[in-house]
Amino acid sequence: MPHGTFNPAPRKSSGDWTSQAGDFANSRYSELSDINEKNVDQLKVAWTFSDGALYGHEGAPLVQGDTMYVVSPFPNRSYALDLTKPGAPIKWMYSPNPSPMAIGKACCDAVLRGWAIGDGKLVYSLLDAHVVAVDLKTGKEVWRTEMADVSKGVTMTSSAFIADGKVFVGNSGGELGVSGWAAALDLATGKELWRAYSVGDDEHTLIGDRYKPFYPHLKGEDLGLKTWPKGMAQHGAGAVWGFFSYDPETNLIFYGTSNPGPRVPVQRPGDNLFSSAVFARDADTGEAVWAYQFTPHDQWDYDGVNEMMLLDLPINGKMRKTIVHFDRNTYAYVLDRETGEVLKADNFAYQNWSTGFDYETGRPIVDPAMEPKPEKTLDRICPPDIGQKDWEPPAYSPQTGLVYLGAFNICMKLTNHKVSYIAGTPYDGMEMERFSVDGPDGDWGQFIAWDPIEGHAAWRIPEKFMVMSGALATAGHLVFYGTSDGWFRAVDARNGKVLWQQKLSSGIIGQPMTYRGPDGVQYIAIASGVGGAAGVQAGRDGYPPRGSTLYVFSLNGKQVEGTHSSAAHPEGEAPQQGAPGSRG
Amino acid sequence: MMRTAGIIAVAIASAAFGAATTGWAVHTGRGTGLSPAVLSNTGYDGPAAVPLGDLAGGAVPRGPIEMKNPLGSGPGVIAEGKKMFNAMNCSGCHGYTGGGGMGPPLNDGYWRYGGAPAQVYKSIFEGRPQGMPAWGVALPPEEIWQLTAFVESLGGSVKPGQAYDSRLGDDHEGSTSKAGSPILEGQ
Repeated sequence: MPHGTFNPAPRKSSGDWTSQAGDFANSRYSELSDINEKNVDQLKVAWTFSDGALYGHEGAPLVQGDTMYVVSPFPNRSYALDLTKPGAPIKWMYSPNPSPMAIGKACCDAVLRGWAIGDGKLVYSLLDAHVVAVDLKTGKEVWRTEMADVSKGVTMTSSAFIADGKVFVGNSGGELGVSGWAAALDLATGKELWRAYSVGDDEHTLIGDRYKPFYPHLKGEDLGLKTWPKGMAQHGAGAVWGFFSYDPETNLIFYGTSNPGPRVPVQRPGDNLFSSAVFARDADTGEAVWAYQFTPHDQWDYDGVNEMMLLDLPINGKMRKTIVHFDRNTYAYVLDRETGEVLKADNFAYQNWSTGFDYETGRPIVDPAMEPKPEKTLDRICPPDIGQKDWEPPAYSPQTGLVYLGAFNICMKLTNHKVSYIAGTPYDGMEMERFSVDGPDGDWGQFIAWDPIEGHAAWRIPEKFMVMSGALATAGHLVFYGTSDGWFRAVDARNGKVLWQQKLSSGIIGQPMTYRGPDGVQYIAIASGVGGAAGVQAGRDGYPPRGSTLYVFSLNGKQVEGTHSSAAHPEGEAPQQGAPGSRG
Repeated sequence: MMRTAGIIAVAIASAAFGAATTGWAVHTGRGTGLSPAVLSNTGYDGPAAVPLGDLAGGAVPRGPIEMKNPLGSGPGVIAEGKKMFNAMNCSGCHGYTGGGGMGPPLNDGYWRYGGAPAQVYKSIFEGRPQGMPAWGVALPPEEIWQLTAFVESLGGSVKPGQAYDSRLGDDHEGSTSKAGSPILEGQ
């Protein structure tokens, strides 16, 4: 049986890593193999860097040429680090000074899930709903675009995505009754080119002649309005806080939308389109080409924001251009990325809200006993709001044909309370307790190798703490991931055997990446700084404090040679040995 | 909305200079569309005059900031405050039991802006820089005192009379509790 493939565009040099996923397809696969299954046990720290910001560190550093670019969580300061010098000193720092009000409007910590490089600029979203572009050489601001009013509860936490001269961004605030949207900005000027709302009439959702969804229930006029009770679509969310992907062949971008607002379903009967869904849109105009809703009338805050991996897979003996998507609702979907048809929907972890999948209608079958009613406590719904996998992005290896994903093993006790819309406050209503699927001493996390063609796990690694880091697969037969209690592991991509691991200072919820430095050496980098939704474990023994440190590893800790700028003694004078007061 | 809140904060600060400036504060409030109940908070004669913090953190350490909740802490007041806490979506940020979430916990004895009743009242009334809305624009003083009573009932508040000691860190013991904000712990 042949494996799948993917388009590695726009990657030109295998040594650089210029977008969060490394490519448009969201593969997170690197051709580098200097570090491989035979020598990975010699991996050691080469250097570290702290950005001093103690919110969750969810992004991957980017490397272009001889410089690394890192952006901190709030206050979203960016740094250029010189990879030609020992210890990678700071070339420049840029501080955008976002409004501190944004901290309290962000549902799930003042995080940033990544940044992008293109056309000589570093581009990223600020927590207070602006987008900035910074000159790669000078660190000077090139443009800044205000996207929304943060005081109304709109924040921006997802990674900007660059393709074809445009910057794609989306908003957060699904818990605050915002109107969710994706937008395209001109990379050169920051001017807004189009904005597509997830909920609302066809004019706002950019649904027109080109919109041809696969399923009949997704066809019709103004469905983004008519699948809501009167007056409820306005604050119906469908925020866009996950990753974008782009198919250069069809010029389509793909992204998921968040939960509907409010989170209390009894207040919004109907399918609540196009929340908890995926859009395929024309990258130039934003026109919708198709849409598919993963969780109609989402009653558990499952969202549909998780990444769309663009893989070409043999399904039932025929090569198909697909989207592989691991939804928070615990279905692993394979969709036809040209039509939005569901080719496969299999559970990748434990769930009890759905009794099966109806391929005829393209809808999951809901267990009525798991439908929440106000002030009635449901003792065990699995997964909880954040799913059995949240936004943390998987990696695909064409060597094994497997997709590698960080995942959870958790449930929730849920009591719903009706809520009113008050601008800038949570439009939420879910009172929750989360716990392990396996009881008080059970594991909360797992790392899964998934066969997307067969629709089952090839192997799993149980983890005591949630695995909320991204994954990285390399041609060295390796997969890297981190745990939210701070272990960074390298495993054999074929069988899941742990080949190397290192405990870092804080928990890991970042995205590992790899690059070849200007010295020709392969490095692996990961941020350590727990936070984000991993904070639901804060009451558990062993949950680590926050951190702010980027770790960069190489074989035997090798790094650029040269004079250390901080060498304390003058040339020609040897340091004194065992001098009085020495701690030698 | 936040701009309006800024005007109120300025008005409150100016009231510190005495009754003479109170007139200016009320005058400034005119034309802001604020209710008489809200405006009464900027003077000394309202039903629940806002006690003022010391200027620049260095002036009179005791005084009105040590006052008790004028509505007391009976179960009726707390129940009303709890209703308000949910109705105004406070629970969405601070948690249904005050354990924190998007916003800081209210039950852990740690306070950025003071945990005595009058300080809690001020935080609700004025809002705070990291996203806490200024509820003085929307709610009359009685309801803010009800909210304050509910917050006091959560177990982490500072007793009236200890606002100053609390500021110096002299009123509480250390803790090994892991309860508290799932999101903002350590901030």
